[in-house]
Amino acid sequence: MKGILKKTAAILTAGALVLATGACGQSGTDGENLIRNEEEDRVEITLFAPMERSKPDVENAARTAFDKTIIMAEEQLNVVVEYNTYTAVDYQEKSYDDVALDRIRSDMDDLYLLNPDVLQKMGEEGRLADLSDLACVKNLRDVVKTANTVNGKLVGIPQEVVVYGLFVNKDMFDCYSLALPDTPEEFLECCKVFKENGIETPVGANRWWLETFVFAQAYADLYNGGNTEAEIEALNSGTRKYSDYMRKGFTYLKEMIDLGYIDAETAYTYEAIEGEGPDFLAQKTPIVMAYWGAANAETAYGNPDFNLQIIGFPSERGQMPVVSVTGISVLESSERQQEAREVLEVILSDEALQVYAETNQVISPSQNLEVDCIEALKPLNDLVNGGTYVLASNAGMKVEQWGNTCLIVRKLLEGASVEECMAEFDKLQEESLP
Amino acid sequence: MLSGYLYMEKKKRRILHKKQILIAPFILVFCILGAVVFFISRKITIEMSESAIGNLSESLDLISNSIDAILKREAQFQKMIAKEIANAAKPEDFVLSYDRNDTMVKLSLILSGETVGISNTGEAFAEEELDFSAGKTVDGLPLSGSYINSMGTWAYTIRCPVIREGKEIASLYIEYIYDSVDDMFPGSFYNRDAKLYLMDAASERLVLKPKGIGERDAGHMSLDDFYYANKILETDIQENVAENIKNGKDVMFYHDIQNEASLIYMWSVNEGAVYLIGYVPVQAIQREGNAVNQNILIVVFVMLTAFTACCCLYLFFERQHDKIRKDQEQERELHNRQLQEALQTAQIANNSKTMFLSNMSHDIRTPMNAILGFTTLLEKDADNPERVREYTRKITASGQHLLGLINDVLDISKIESGKAALTIGEFSLDDMVSSIDAIIRPAAKAKNQSFEIAVTGIRHTRLLGDETRLGQILLNLLSNAVKYTQEGGSIQLRISGLRQHSSQYEHFRIEVEDNGYGMTPEYLKTIFEAFTRAENSTTNKVQGTGLGMAITKNIVELMGGTIEVFSKEGEGSRFVVELELRIPETKAEEPSGKAEGDARTPAAQKAEAECLRGRHFLVAEDNEINAEILSELLLIEGATCEIMENGRLAATRFEQAPPGSFDAILMDVQMPVMNGYEASRTIRAMEREDAGTIPIIAMTANAFAEDVKDAMDAGMNAHVAKPIDMELLKRTINQYLK
Repeated sequence: MKGILKKTAAILTAGALVLATGACGQSGTDGENLIRNEEEDRVEITLFAPMERSKPDVENAARTAFDKTIIMAEEQLNVVVEYNTYTAVDYQEKSYDDVALDRIRSDMDDLYLLNPDVLQKMGEEGRLADLSDLACVKNLRDVVKTANTVNGKLVGIPQEVVVYGLFVNKDMFDCYSLALPDTPEEFLECCKVFKENGIETPVGANRWWLETFVFAQAYADLYNGGNTEAEIEALNSGTRKYSDYMRKGFTYLKEMIDLGYIDAETAYTYEAIEGEGPDFLAQKTPIVMAYWGAANAETAYGNPDFNLQIIGFPSERGQMPVVSVTGISVLESSERQQEAREVLEVILSDEALQVYAETNQVISPSQNLEVDCIEALKPLNDLVNGGTYVLASNAGMKVEQWGNTCLIVRKLLEGASVEECMAEFDKLQEESLP
Repeated sequence: MLSGYLYMEKKKRRILHKKQILIAPFILVFCILGAVVFFISRKITIEMSESAIGNLSESLDLISNSIDAILKREAQFQKMIAKEIANAAKPEDFVLSYDRNDTMVKLSLILSGETVGISNTGEAFAEEELDFSAGKTVDGLPLSGSYINSMGTWAYTIRCPVIREGKEIASLYIEYIYDSVDDMFPGSFYNRDAKLYLMDAASERLVLKPKGIGERDAGHMSLDDFYYANKILETDIQENVAENIKNGKDVMFYHDIQNEASLIYMWSVNEGAVYLIGYVPVQAIQREGNAVNQNILIVVFVMLTAFTACCCLYLFFERQHDKIRKDQEQERELHNRQLQEALQTAQIANNSKTMFLSNMSHDIRTPMNAILGFTTLLEKDADNPERVREYTRKITASGQHLLGLINDVLDISKIESGKAALTIGEFSLDDMVSSIDAIIRPAAKAKNQSFEIAVTGIRHTRLLGDETRLGQILLNLLSNAVKYTQEGGSIQLRISGLRQHSSQYEHFRIEVEDNGYGMTPEYLKTIFEAFTRAENSTTNKVQGTGLGMAITKNIVELMGGTIEVFSKEGEGSRFVVELELRIPETKAEEPSGKAEGDARTPAAQKAEAECLRGRHFLVAEDNEINAEILSELLLIEGATCEIMENGRLAATRFEQAPPGSFDAILMDVQMPVMNGYEASRTIRAMEREDAGTIPIIAMTANAFAEDVKDAMDAGMNAHVAKPIDMELLKRTINQYLK
């Protein structure tokens, strides 16, 4: 008993002394500067991106994955990456790509997240730094290097290989006993059955991604026929016409519009996912097109109330995924180009890409990384892994594909004829010839 | 007993009540303290909250005023440039000569009367590219709506008239970018917990997210996007905000953002042309208040803990003290009780012994009186043989009673001193019952009582045990039954077999039941105690030592059995004895129901009566009177004897006498020089032919079972207790002379 009392007394006395000492130590003395002037020695890198930096616990998987890799860079390099962002509220405003072009041309930022068309255009203008000497480049898949090399310079490296596919409501297909379509004819038949059964618009579309439909049909043979380089060379030299390839896809798209399977009027104004997404999730529309990551993001098509399947676009060669390679680029004229390149080294390292791919469950640009995908994505994954896909962007082609095709598809949506659209391609090809 | 219980209950209640009285102030103190702390804490929270909101407002005012100041400086600077242009010979050249800087990124001029002018970049410029419809101004100059400029960043344009000689000759348009005001925002607004945007009021587009002012997950495009991302979806709030923005008023309201109570603010800049919008978690602005409250709570907690600890210590020591006191009280009570019990026991023992002595005095004096009285009468009537025989018979009866009394006293004394031992031997239960019947039946008959015996369920009638002691038990119980049952009553002896615990033991129950006087419950409690008797012998005609039951119980327990008694006053008593006796292993079962006494034929009885005639005995007896009595008695029976005064003389006499001189030796035990045991051993050890065969019969006042055993061990053949019962002596001698 006495022992316990002694111990208690000793502990209490010690506690009291600690508290008293702590209390005495916190007050400042007269004349002491109470302000701590922190030395800001961290370099500030600016990044232009569509979305703001997120908190670590937010729900949007895509941004979280990107942010994770940025945080890795900040911690490793003792830099701060500040985001400058822009997103158009509607189609009447300048698009992100337009603003990106302006900002690059005005030397506004150090790093840019760019779509393929902007990347190619800015690469051609020589405003983006050559990244081919980065250490991470040796890990990249060839498709990435092919798509983003402009005039021998690797001007952008992505954190994921963006694969587009058709997102289908399998329950609705089963409801009408429809098999998932492989060819354009089968696809039309499915749309016909849906239409006959009261589904007003079987295919939900927006103003950005309808071109994927066209690419699948246009370039299925070019990229899968075994003579890719020669055919691209023929296009670049003008011996073959882009319009010859594109006509098939545009004609098919026109037929879809004419048959009412796609609502051209709404598609022209819809932003990606925001426009057509709600009807798809509400099971009013059985088919939409989107990129791979949308299947994993709760804010897009992740975890729907129906059996979601992601398949390739219909083509004469069967289902065809469309690969679009975006990229993170460094401004050639940036005063902090070296620091920006170091940031890229970190966020494109296998370690960072592993984090990114595992978080978003996407196909990594690094050939060293394989990540399991969700069940719904397996058909698409199998095709890509089997080497069956078409490229929607290829900086090796003199005529930029992703952006130009998108604009020409919009003209089709506005009512232009297929031939008028083909004439646009011919014009672009002519301009590209030396 | 009951009063003691009630006292304890009252005591417990008093203690409980005392504890409740003690706990109540504690609870009250806690409640009051809790209420005070809650009140102070709440007051501090409210005051700090108001103060925090005031600080937030001041911060927003500061930022707002800074932006206002920048806009005004820009407008004033633009007016200076306009004057310069007005003074320039060729205004277009002045414009073209301007190089953009980080603030003014584009300078354009449209001459009066024209719709298209020129920019410093050399491009054509038209006012229709801009939107001045909102009617906002800076320092009196029209301010355009915000837009994404050619640099891909949000910008605004101020229009300023170029006046020369009082006449407006052109309009000067200067484009400014919002990025230029970024540096005047605080690097860390509420420790980066607060969010802040600059919003163009007309288009409700968010045109600047200042660096270092937090991060957010969505809603960076417009006010609608801000509402949607932060789930501020109440239309009344949105309408109220819209109304205030329209009027250029500041707005601040509470709303949950990501499940956290937050303050949303929309602060007017330049009379509502631009707004600072954002939110800050309430926790972030009340950090100081929370810290104060936390510290108060810590102090209160520590104080309460200390108070509770003190109370616990007090209660702990109080309980310890109580426990010690209770232990002491219990010990004292136990001690007192033990003392009281000891006293009571001593008193009872004393009373019992006083009563015993009184009874003994009475019980001894009564037969002694008879003996002495009849001796006097014998002397007087010596000539009347009839009277002499009558007196002699009565003297003998009184002597027998006195002998029984002495035997009982000695027996209980022996048992209680732990010296009693059982003499185990084989016996027949049937024979014993017959013997008992022979003794009890005449006594019962004399009192006109019916006496019934029932033996049932006994598997083995030949048993190993102390026959004498068992007989003593039965005799005690049955003689008591006869004694304490009125004339004409009935007595039953039942012996029944019980389930055997072991095949080697016979387990049986002896029940003695009568319909006599019975016993009071009080007496039942003490019936087996020594020196007690149902009625005091001096007032009751029933006589006895009061030791019978005590002896009986002790013998039963010595045999490993149990005894119980059931009785009701006036209705009778029932004694139940349960015993287990060993079954002999080799002896065959004899048919039950035969008594030895019954087997003797009249011829045998006659032979026994005549057995001493002509016999010559060697007697070792140191007491002259006893020697004379024995000599006379033997003479009466036609026998002669030689009396030796001690064992040595007897042994010597036997040694010297030729064989066959004596038929038997009657040996006293306690003698001077050599006692009977040693003498017997000496004789048996002699080397003569009859030394081992001559019957030696112990005749001694040492009448206990162990005395019998000692005699046998010494080589004697039989033991006859004094005073001498000639019939028994004859029977015994006859047994060995055959």
